[in-house]
Amino acid sequence: MDLTVEATLESEIVSKKHPRAEDFISTLKVFVKNRIALAGLIIVVIYAIIAILDWVYPAYLGIKSGFDLSDALVTFHMSTYLGKPILYPSPITGSLIPFTIGVSYGVPPYGSGAIITLIPPTLHGPTNTPGWWWIFGSTAYNLPIFPVMLASLKWDLTYTVVIVLIGAAIGTIVGTFAGFYGGATDEAIMRVTDIFFSIPFLVLAMAILYVMGVSINNVLLALIIIWWPIYARLTRGQALSVKSNKFVEAATASGSSRIRTMFVHILPNVLAPVFVQISLDLGTVIALFATLDFLGFHYTSIYLPELGNMITWGDQTRYLFATPMNWWPFLIPALFLVIFTIAVNLLGDGLRDVLDPKLRR
Amino acid sequence: MVEAELSKSEQHDELAKEIQENNVVVKNLKTYFFTSKGIVRAIENLSLSIRRGEVYGLVGESGSGKSVTATSIIDLIPDPPGRVLDGDVYINGFNIYSDLDKLVRVKIKSPTNVKVKHYKTALRRHNKILSSIRGKWVSMIFQEPFLSMNPVLTIGFQLTEPILLHNLTDLISSLVRLETFSKKNALKVAEAILGEPDYQKRSNIVDQFILDYSLYSVKKYIKQTAENISDPEQMATEFVNIAQTAKLGLKVEKYARMRDYFRLSDRVDDLQLKLVSIEGEIKRIRRRIQELSASSPAGSDELRKMRNYLDTRTSQSEKETLQIKEEIKRAKEQMRRVYPALYFKRILSKRVRDKNIRMAAEKRAIEFLELVNIPAPEAIMNSYPHELSGGMLQRSMIAMALSSSPKVLIADEPTTALDVTTQAQILNLINRVIDKRRGQSVLFITHDLAVIAEMCDRVGVMYGGNLVEEAPLEKLFKNAKHPYTIGLMNSIPRHDVKVDKAARLESIPGSVPNLIDPPTGCRFHPRCKFRMDICSEKKPALVEIEPEHKVACFLYSDEVEESVELEE
Amino acid sequence: MKIRYFIIRRLVLMVPTLIGLTLFTFVLLYSLELTHETQLVSQYINPHSKDIAAQLRKAKIALGLNLSFPQQYILFLERLVNGTWGFFPTQFPMFGGLPVLEGIEKSLPNTVQLAFFATLLSVILSIPIGTYIGARPNSVSDNVGRVFSLVGYAFPVFVLGILLQLLFSRAGVVPRLIGVTGLPIGGTMPTFTSPPSWFRAGTTYPTHIPILDGMLNGDFSFSWGAFIYVILPVLTITYGLLAGLLRFIRSGMVDSLSQEYVKTARSKGVPESWVIRTHVRRNAMIPAITVMVLAFATLLGGVVVVEDIFSYHGMGLLALNSVLDFAPYGVLSTTFFFGIIIVIANLVVDVIYALLDPRIRY
Ligand SMILES: Nc1ncnc2c1ncn2[C@@H]1O[C@H](COP(=O)(O)OP(=O)(O)O)[C@@H](O)[C@H]1O
Ligand code: SF4
Ligand SMILES: [Mg+2]
Repeated sequence: MDLTVEATLESEIVSKKHPRAEDFISTLKVFVKNRIALAGLIIVVIYAIIAILDWVYPAYLGIKSGFDLSDALVTFHMSTYLGKPILYPSPITGSLIPFTIGVSYGVPPYGSGAIITLIPPTLHGPTNTPGWWWIFGSTAYNLPIFPVMLASLKWDLTYTVVIVLIGAAIGTIVGTFAGFYGGATDEAIMRVTDIFFSIPFLVLAMAILYVMGVSINNVLLALIIIWWPIYARLTRGQALSVKSNKFVEAATASGSSRIRTMFVHILPNVLAPVFVQISLDLGTVIALFATLDFLGFHYTSIYLPELGNMITWGDQTRYLFATPMNWWPFLIPALFLVIFTIAVNLLGDGLRDVLDPKLRR
Repeated sequence: MVEAELSKSEQHDELAKEIQENNVVVKNLKTYFFTSKGIVRAIENLSLSIRRGEVYGLVGESGSGKSVTATSIIDLIPDPPGRVLDGDVYINGFNIYSDLDKLVRVKIKSPTNVKVKHYKTALRRHNKILSSIRGKWVSMIFQEPFLSMNPVLTIGFQLTEPILLHNLTDLISSLVRLETFSKKNALKVAEAILGEPDYQKRSNIVDQFILDYSLYSVKKYIKQTAENISDPEQMATEFVNIAQTAKLGLKVEKYARMRDYFRLSDRVDDLQLKLVSIEGEIKRIRRRIQELSASSPAGSDELRKMRNYLDTRTSQSEKETLQIKEEIKRAKEQMRRVYPALYFKRILSKRVRDKNIRMAAEKRAIEFLELVNIPAPEAIMNSYPHELSGGMLQRSMIAMALSSSPKVLIADEPTTALDVTTQAQILNLINRVIDKRRGQSVLFITHDLAVIAEMCDRVGVMYGGNLVEEAPLEKLFKNAKHPYTIGLMNSIPRHDVKVDKAARLESIPGSVPNLIDPPTGCRFHPRCKFRMDICSEKKPALVEIEPEHKVACFLYSDEVEESVELEE
Repeated sequence: MKIRYFIIRRLVLMVPTLIGLTLFTFVLLYSLELTHETQLVSQYINPHSKDIAAQLRKAKIALGLNLSFPQQYILFLERLVNGTWGFFPTQFPMFGGLPVLEGIEKSLPNTVQLAFFATLLSVILSIPIGTYIGARPNSVSDNVGRVFSLVGYAFPVFVLGILLQLLFSRAGVVPRLIGVTGLPIGGTMPTFTSPPSWFRAGTTYPTHIPILDGMLNGDFSFSWGAFIYVILPVLTITYGLLAGLLRFIRSGMVDSLSQEYVKTARSKGVPESWVIRTHVRRNAMIPAITVMVLAFATLLGGVVVVEDIFSYHGMGLLALNSVLDFAPYGVLSTTFFFGIIIVIANLVVDVIYALLDPRIRY
């Protein structure tokens, strides 16, 4: 004996504005109000701009077009400073320590064959080469940290984005498929992802790389192989819950084919968490990229600037030249990387807040 | 209008009388929700009172603010996003909002006026005071029994909580009865047991004996002894031995001290409530004077009377406050002397972990489960919520709400989530277990007029955050005045009145208003058949048009509600 | 009694995953046969003998490389069960020429020690802090915790590890500034000038867990020394782990706080601290405990980077060295072994969950 009016009330508060537009605006408001997430977004955008500029017009960054370390090694190291003493300021005491070039570090770990002399890293650089690119000092082979860091970003970001996007695309389609079709298909796909989840992904990457051989393409391939199951699981759960909605039933009833239903009705509705996951994974993958390099999988050519490479050099040179440790060749590229991963995480966190209305105030 | 002729100070006395006579008095309640979409003006200037021993029904479409009213009464509005911005709620004569001054309640986001620290301490104190009121004076039953019970705690644990919190003194007193336990008593019991040939009755006597002297922890041995020994003298000696080996004899002294301690602590709680309420009253009079001096010309009659009233009240209350403070100090000192360990470590877990207190609480909980007709209550105590049916859970919720014998029971749509047969049982149960003669009253919330007809003595009809009509049950059903109420009445199927088929079920056109941007004037005017010009401009006040019958509608009275806008 | 059937059912459900895991490992092996055949075979060949070609043929037949795919799979399973998991090449650090299983046997205890301390520390810290933060969403402490978690998530492990070395190791900044010795920059345990009988070839006996063995053999100074070696690696691992756990507990608390039953508890007059500790935390902790167990299991295989930075001879370093020093059987075995650990951990987690959460019927 409920009131008959009760039924009409379930339609909630009716608003005059277009619901989608209003939704989008309120979403945007929530995001913009979250200052931390906004800061993350800004940092990520800056990094992206650097990487894109690097592709399109590297001269803006003071980097020669087609720059790679072979150039740098010649221009900065061999011709300019060979045999000249360099005053090397100690970062802690500030006193200047003279070093002469020619301290041999032996064969570089990448085995290019040529003996390259390692020059002690300098904080401010030799006095006879002023220039903005010395602001962070130099690293092994006396490369200036700053421009090489910028040049590295191009490759790091590009590879990361490619890995994450391809992994996400494959995973999303497979996961939606599994969730939508259900039954044996679903079961089989989930068992396969189980296997991927049961091996720590770094170990898995190492094993795959061992089998396939270490090269940049194989790293891409290995990381994609590792990454798709994450998305498959994520979207499968989403697809399952979307599937039970009324509008899917309606679409099926009105004669929409299964494939069409999957792509038109289910897929768009599982994308929100995928975006959050992508934004978080950008940080994980770029770090993993650097980690693999650090562990000794030197997939990049020695001449390809890459953050993992730079951090490794910094790590290797830190006990070599001075009593107080050289911290900056390691720490500055590392911080450059960490800032990006933190920013990406902030962004992902903000996105999650926006896309998960339950948490919205 | 009688009230208008009374001077303001006398009005205060009127209020005092009202809160003396009613279990709950709500005055000018205003509750808003600050959401990302805007401010939801959920309750606007709502006043109602619930008398001793009556069932007051609140009815209205969903979204009209019934639940918000109920939760505002025990201040359980989730903050954020909600806040009770204004108004007073007197429960059992105590104004639960009296310790929050207005600034704290508005809680300005940037703490320009209020220091954040001050705000936090005020809220903490407020919550502490309220937790001694909730459950003791008011309990609440919710709509969804499955969601309202904690899934990972046993029913027994959740049932004993209010008992351990609010009936501790009783519980411990029952434990202390062991003080009177002596050889003589034991002998008497032993004789009674042996003199009873019937097995069932004999075990009843044993149970009663265990209950009387709180020998739960040694229940097994007592029963064994009662079964195996045939000589009364020997049995009595054995009983005494058992009690002593269980060290209960030693513990009696401890429980006696504990009882004294908690008696004192109850007293301190009461005194503190009194203190808060005196402070609150003075604060309120001051505020009223400020308002008056701002609005009316200086030296007006009202203002003078109010000032006089304040003077007398202040001097009175100062004396009272001093006295109470003195008394609290003394009581606390005593508490420390009686049981230092408890005084310095007042935590709930201590009461919960004490096996004997727990057992006594469980015993009491089982009694209440029996009261609400739950079969095999001992088994229920150890089960988890998901193992029970909805009806069973709702029964245990009722048992839980009643177990601390509150003055008011708030039932927020207690039957809506249940199936029809269970609904009727639960309604009957509530009717049966409420102790109206002892002044227990119920605030019954539902959207179903049929249920209202079955349960309530007096009914309030809510629409869009306002009370639009209030009357005793018969009056309302026979002689509904407000167009909204009339609409509601017409939308239920009637068997007693023959009407032609087409006009039988008539629903009110339109839907409940959006409370973020509510209609101006009378909130019902977009849907009202009798709408006039004034309706969309002014808001009608709730006026008593017949004895006991109040309506807020311009069809019956011209009085306009004076609304105080919040300065943001 | 009922829990026994639950476990049996879960064990049966484990079978497909296990088969999948062996199949996966076998596919790795099969691909190795295509790409790294010489490495696979080389350890069975004596390089000084004359007739290398004949030896090669013999070794291939012994290894079953001439068989068909399914036959090889059966052979592979047989060898898995027999415990003949292959050998390390002779130039392999620590375990050159030894069976792979022996390498695992001596590396795992070191990692267990590391994982134990890291899990213990993060659990001890995360429960009270997580409860405190979760009970006050959007407060200052919550934001501090949030930033802490975020940074912990974002910091690559190797950066953090090296940072700690820079700061606290023997030549590091902090010991230099305040004039103390500082912690060892790497290594597994102290060495002896004249090793006792329970210390052989860089391994302690009987349990192989250095700290425990030191205590069992009554050499507490050795245990203390070994403990000093794990401090920095443990701190490195703990930061990330703590960040994850904090975030998890916090979100569980916030979720639980918004539930109806919290309102019920408050309406009974339960004091706020008791509401948080009993009604809210108990609900939030059930999933958190399972996460803790899983985290421990993951640590047993997942600390490659930390063990590399601190040259700590555990499973991670074993796996890494297998890859870098071309030990095919090492790669296969460690991969498979980690898989098994996680599969078992998942089983344990399910059982724990069923025991803790009354809603799960088994
Ligand atoms: N937590 C909340 N946040 C925002 N708005 C709320 C909240 N709770 C209730 N409201 C609003 O308060 C109004 C009254 O709700 P309620 O009291 O639950 O209605 P009912 O009469 O059905 O019990 C509704 O318009 C609702 O939107
Ligand atoms: S005041 Fe006007 S609009 Fe409101 S109910 Fe009465 S007649 Fe209808
Ligand atoms: Mg409601």
